[in-house]
Amino acid sequence: MTPEELIKRLDPPLSLRRRVGYVTVALAGLLGSGLVGLLWATEPGLPPRTVVAFAVLVAIGLAWAVFGTWAVARRAPLFARDRVVAGWLGVAAWLLFTAGAVVVTTLRHRIEPGLLVVVLVLGAVAVLRLRAARRGRAALLRRKEQLSRGS
Amino acid sequence: MSDELLIVRCRLGERDAFPELVRAWHGAVDRYVRRMLAGPDDDVVQEVWLAVFHGLPKLRRPERFAPWLFTIARRAVTNRLRDTYAHAGPEPAEEPAGPDESDAIVDREVLGEALGALPVREREVLLLFYLEDLPLEACAQICAVPVGTVKSRLNRARRLLREELVRKEYEA
Repeated sequence: MTPEELIKRLDPPLSLRRRVGYVTVALAGLLGSGLVGLLWATEPGLPPRTVVAFAVLVAIGLAWAVFGTWAVARRAPLFARDRVVAGWLGVAAWLLFTAGAVVVTTLRHRIEPGLLVVVLVLGAVAVLRLRAARRGRAALLRRKEQLSRGS
Repeated sequence: MSDELLIVRCRLGERDAFPELVRAWHGAVDRYVRRMLAGPDDDVVQEVWLAVFHGLPKLRRPERFAPWLFTIARRAVTNRLRDTYAHAGPEPAEEPAGPDESDAIVDREVLGEALGALPVREREVLLLFYLEDLPLEACAQICAVPVGTVKSRLNRARRLLREELVRKEYEA
């Protein structure tokens, strides 16, 4: 096998679209199940069939989240640039979840302390992940600059 | 371009750095796999490269890329040897050299066959130390043994290789 043949074979696993796609799938699943779970938890007196429907929707969202996380861990490694993109996607997902939480709170006319804690914790996680990704990328860019000047 | 710079560019996710890394190291990986398995094995080579790209984001010391790469290659080769022995299939043989090929190629073939006759552990240290030009410490790290063990394996490997080449000379 020549290097060019090998590079062609390695092309699908190294595709940026695929890597970011897996992250998007994981976050979309998490966001969907989070919002459905939010409605489920805050809606009083639901009929049993609606509860089952909510549970199924939450399970589907979580299944996509697990699949996306597994794929990122085992099939499509995230490089420094991908981590920054994933970090921004995480922040966007958190903003969407927060918007959903605000809508639910406004409709109910009361603030749920538990929900507030969840929103704040998720926000902190999203921001810290993005910060770590940006720092990691900046450190690698500095090292690249040093090595480029040295060679 | 230095290997370290290439690794840093790969870790950054620069798309054109991956083919450059493959071009720079494919020969060494292919040679190692070919010699260890006594024949070419594209699947193992591909498996090695997939594991390399999966592991690259976690590679903390890019300057230690070569020992890290050969550790991965060694794992893939060990898995393949384990599968081969488990299924007790026929061992892959090297293709014989054509009669019109140059003496250099014939010599290389003879050496390759002699290497193939050595036990796996001895063959491995010979390949890493002499063919890949890795220092003793790197060989020890790749084989997960102390440096002293690598030295004793090298001594034994040299002796076995000499005996094998002498035997082949008599047979010829």
